[in-house]
Amino acid sequence: MTFEVGRTVAQRPGKASTVVAFHRNPVAMTAVAVLIGCAGVVPVLLSGYMLQLATDVLMFAALAYSWNIISGCTGYLSFGQVSFFGIGAYATSVLVIRAGIPWYAAAPIASALAGMIAALLGTVMLRLRGIMFALGMLGLSRILMVLSANWNFIGAAAGLTLPAELTPVAVYIAMWVVVVAAFGLNAFVLNSGWGLSVIGVRDDEVAAAAVGVPTARIKVMAFVMSALAPAAVGGLVAWNRSFIDPSSAFDPTLDLQVIVFALFGGIGTVWGPALGTVFLMLVGEQFWAYLPDLQLALYGGLVIAVVLAFPGGIVGLANRVGWLRRSPVLAPDKFPAVPSMPHSPPAVDETIIDVRELTVRFGGLVALDGITLSVRRGEMVSIIGANGAGKTTLFNAITGFVKPSEGGVFYLGKPVADIPSFERARQGIARTFQIPRLMETLTVWENTLLAARHSKRADNAVVQAAWALHVVKMDELWLEPTTKLSPGQQRRLEMARALALNPTIILLDEVMAGMTRDEQDEIRAVLRQFREYGVAAAAGVEHVISAIADISDRMIVLDHGRKIAEGSPETVLRDPLVIESYLGKVS
Amino acid sequence: MLGGQSATRGGAIFASLIAASALYATLPAKAADQPIVIGASISQTGPLAVDASYHLKGIQLAVADANAHGGWLGRKLELKVYDDQSNPGTGVRLYTRLITQDKVDLVIGPYSSGISQAVAPLTNKYERVMLMPGASLPAIFAPGNKWNFQSIAPATGYAEGLLPLAKANGAKKVAILQLQLAFTLACGQARLEQAKQLGMNVVYTTTYALPQPDFSSMALAIKNANPDAVLLCSYYPDAVGIAQALHRIGYTPQYLAETIGPAEAEFDKALGPIANGIISNTSWWPSLKTPDNGGFVSRYKAMFHEDPDYHVAATYSAMQVLGAAVAATKSLDQEKLRDWIASNEVQTVQGTFKSGPNGLATKFGQYLFQIQNGKRVLIWPLDLAEAKAEVPYAGH
Amino acid sequence: MILLQLVVNGVLLGGTYILLAQGLNLVFGVMGIVNLAHGAIITLAGLFTYWFVTETHLSPLLLLPPVFIVMLAAGGLLQRFLLEPLASLGRKGELLNLMVTFGLSYVLIETGLNAFGSQYVSLPNLQTTWEVGGLAINEALVAAGVLGALISGGLHLWLNYSDSGRSLLATSQNPTGAVTCGIDVRRVRGIAFAIGAALASAAGVLLILVIPLSAPTADTLTILSFVIVALGGLGDYRGAVMAALILGLVQSAVGYYLGGDAEVVVPYLLLITFMVVRPQGLGRAVR
Repeated sequence: MTFEVGRTVAQRPGKASTVVAFHRNPVAMTAVAVLIGCAGVVPVLLSGYMLQLATDVLMFAALAYSWNIISGCTGYLSFGQVSFFGIGAYATSVLVIRAGIPWYAAAPIASALAGMIAALLGTVMLRLRGIMFALGMLGLSRILMVLSANWNFIGAAAGLTLPAELTPVAVYIAMWVVVVAAFGLNAFVLNSGWGLSVIGVRDDEVAAAAVGVPTARIKVMAFVMSALAPAAVGGLVAWNRSFIDPSSAFDPTLDLQVIVFALFGGIGTVWGPALGTVFLMLVGEQFWAYLPDLQLALYGGLVIAVVLAFPGGIVGLANRVGWLRRSPVLAPDKFPAVPSMPHSPPAVDETIIDVRELTVRFGGLVALDGITLSVRRGEMVSIIGANGAGKTTLFNAITGFVKPSEGGVFYLGKPVADIPSFERARQGIARTFQIPRLMETLTVWENTLLAARHSKRADNAVVQAAWALHVVKMDELWLEPTTKLSPGQQRRLEMARALALNPTIILLDEVMAGMTRDEQDEIRAVLRQFREYGVAAAAGVEHVISAIADISDRMIVLDHGRKIAEGSPETVLRDPLVIESYLGKVS
Repeated sequence: MLGGQSATRGGAIFASLIAASALYATLPAKAADQPIVIGASISQTGPLAVDASYHLKGIQLAVADANAHGGWLGRKLELKVYDDQSNPGTGVRLYTRLITQDKVDLVIGPYSSGISQAVAPLTNKYERVMLMPGASLPAIFAPGNKWNFQSIAPATGYAEGLLPLAKANGAKKVAILQLQLAFTLACGQARLEQAKQLGMNVVYTTTYALPQPDFSSMALAIKNANPDAVLLCSYYPDAVGIAQALHRIGYTPQYLAETIGPAEAEFDKALGPIANGIISNTSWWPSLKTPDNGGFVSRYKAMFHEDPDYHVAATYSAMQVLGAAVAATKSLDQEKLRDWIASNEVQTVQGTFKSGPNGLATKFGQYLFQIQNGKRVLIWPLDLAEAKAEVPYAGH
Repeated sequence: MILLQLVVNGVLLGGTYILLAQGLNLVFGVMGIVNLAHGAIITLAGLFTYWFVTETHLSPLLLLPPVFIVMLAAGGLLQRFLLEPLASLGRKGELLNLMVTFGLSYVLIETGLNAFGSQYVSLPNLQTTWEVGGLAINEALVAAGVLGALISGGLHLWLNYSDSGRSLLATSQNPTGAVTCGIDVRRVRGIAFAIGAALASAAGVLLILVIPLSAPTADTLTILSFVIVALGGLGDYRGAVMAALILGLVQSAVGYYLGGDAEVVVPYLLLITFMVVRPQGLGRAVR
């Protein structure tokens, strides 16, 4: 998703760092704590109407933060978060009315229930593409409205009435607790190491899996997180109104407002949802009195305007003048000193990767036809062949992004057939991509850290990431956004990412493509020494044969999905069949 | 000229005059000159706006009528109205504002059962009397309700004349369909009970929900069951849809009755000739011989240049009750008003207001009208009927 | 006889669904955009038709050509100014497009509310019901189905046998490839959206004779259209025909045997079932 989410703080080498990471700045943290505390205490002094307004603002802020987690941070736009609001409202009401549980216990229980439902739903729906998920959620809120109108246990269409026991002040404080929790979850996702996985999924799910992120699980967890606050809020609102029925529980205009607030404030940011909610609700209160017939149109127009003109919302605009910028996750104040880390080659078997009779078909097209090859410990194997030979498909089959139609792939002697790609990455198969797939909203550092966190050296992830960047000589660029890198630098970052995974084998997909001579030399220098980096073997698909011929131990040639030659580079490159496959027959 | 001394004295006198008038201006005006402010939150935008506009106009007419006679307790009436945008949550917030911030003297209820239901706990909490002319749903007036009073005929009575009327003409089999909304379900339940008591055979019954794009299956099921009378406890789009579906399946029962929908002006335009013969319910009619009904109708016409409907009558009569209570207790004290309203009958344009258990309205009448040749005529109760019911349902 | 009538009802309902959904399919197939304003366009056209007929007492069918043409132009403009700026983002822009059409739908709904009010409206034209061999067949439903069939047939012919149509297909399958063939993909995108919107408005003109429409409930039509399109396979107009008919038949049967409230959840339950079991839908198009 390409919403402009939060520019990061970049430090210039040589210039004294004037910006300290926000959450390590005691002054800033104290200010925020005071602000949050005041928000909790002051409105208690307000009168009935203003208190009610403040409570509504808090409610929308909590909903906006929750929407932000699944839609902004994870990249799965949801048009039906009101489903959890309604589930929470009904669950709380039923617990209170039928089980006699006090409200302050009922709301958290309802929240947990919503989380469980989200887990179930998410497992099914998050397998789908973004659009299907968005519309599936839209349909879900409708289904729930109809189902609840038919279910007598929860009052069917007549709804449920609750005894009026809560004072407005109590509701306000409870709502404030929920908002703080929602804010906390949001900040956690955007600032923690675990949260990096979520953002990785958003930016590029395929690349995330390739560096070991368990994408399916992460998505479901984020979805569950996004369901908790709306459910609690729903319960509180039901209490506040002493009444709940299907149309107020699953009211679609709630979704519209929440989306507008979060978008306007800045989707995918820490402060965006709060800023957007407070601003638009307070402005709205004054505004709608003058333009009551235009509210929906103005909200709709605002959505369009934000998407087309300033996708980052208020926070995005603030970023341009240097405010509210995101600080890179787990980045020390300056680039960590890299101790000479011993990376000894792992004690593994002779054969690292074993491909046996591998056939891959896409419909009628046979991409790979009975390929058998292996990569042995200590060697660098180059795989070459004309376009369409099946080279990338081979890598995709090894790394788990493509399913074999026949035959199998074995890693360290064990079949990988049932192992998902992210698990293969964790177990030591790293790869780069033909077109670099980098996380665009993350810095160089964070891209590498994400991989390091899923390596066998995850306990020392910061050092591991620093080491990997050091190897590819990208120390100075460590806080640059990836969008500012040249193609050569992007390639090197991909390599750093692969190394950070502490892999047993690295698969390089056309790593020399589009590189200048100097850049090629830099990569060749890294490749020559791969054994010193703890990597047992390397395999590269390549077109720029001159760049890899002298560093390869063995070369394999593919043509139309079949292996046509194998041996030392000198032998293979003189093989008439190989020459013919590239250049055609000379008649 | 006396110079400095007189200037000082003059200045002092001038200053004290200013101070005195400022002081006088800040004194609270005598209670008798201040208007009585009546507050309400009415849907002026959103899906309910069209019907709610009648609700509002009834209040406005009542205020104008009262002021023409010197107001209440010698004080003029003033209306303070906010727009809840057809949203219950907004309604709650606005009534809170009216009560706690604007501190209005009296409040009157919003349009629709949905918003009334959301607002009801508020008045119980703040101990304010509220007459609710928009709340036909009986469930709002449950044990625990002390301050809200229903001032429109309850939904359980909708179309209660249909089954007896049909039975008297030989009908034995009946089909009853209910929309999944609180007040249509309340109506449906009551009618099913009634059918049982009258010994009529319910050959088909179902519930359905909006939005429903297709009624053809239910129409087919009705045709298959072949009832003499078909009653829909419906709202608006389904009243149109089912009538269309029955026509498309080529079936005409003896009696076709639908609640709510046929009262709307667009109903005829949507159905054309197949609207003729459809029977519907109402809680008020211009020809009713209730006190000053004729005057009410003509004053409304003069003020708004259109005919009033039952929504207008509901709010107007609620204001009549409120006015009677204020006059009888000679105060604006909420408790006194509440006690008086709870125990007294008031004759209104809508009939007899009498509050029963938990604030339910017990004595408002229910009437049936039928569309005949594009015009709406009262057909039940028989002693008030303007014309005989046209049977069977023409459908063309 | 009941069974036969159920089948007839189901097929006629399916015809209405095809009318509803084909415009959405075209836009998605070519541009990867699910136009969330689809229902609003249908509703606005229907409300306008209602106003026109009640004012002039002319036949609503007269409106089909002018409404179609006006919406072609309006759709082209909307695409040019609201969606084209996002076109360069390709696949990644999918969700952004969703947001823009989401916002657009509310602007259109508010316009409808202000121009035509919030009430449900319908028209009594084409009310004749024919008795054919004991079966009841209604004129308005047939007209809706016929228009839906014409649209589907027209789409098939146009996409497969005309240059502009084939350019559309090419662009949907491979935008970069299409450019290298000399196809002006910007124009193609504009045309696709314009036609999709125009089809939606044509649907609205006829739909007001079939069911009551109202501005506030416009998005129900969007969801229903999306269900049909998703069931058929996003972008596959043949799949959509199959899906529409199946949905119509299933709803008809469920409504008769299980009652009204069961009938209303059928589209949504089918959608969720398909999402779990066969997300690519009934058709064979792969995107």
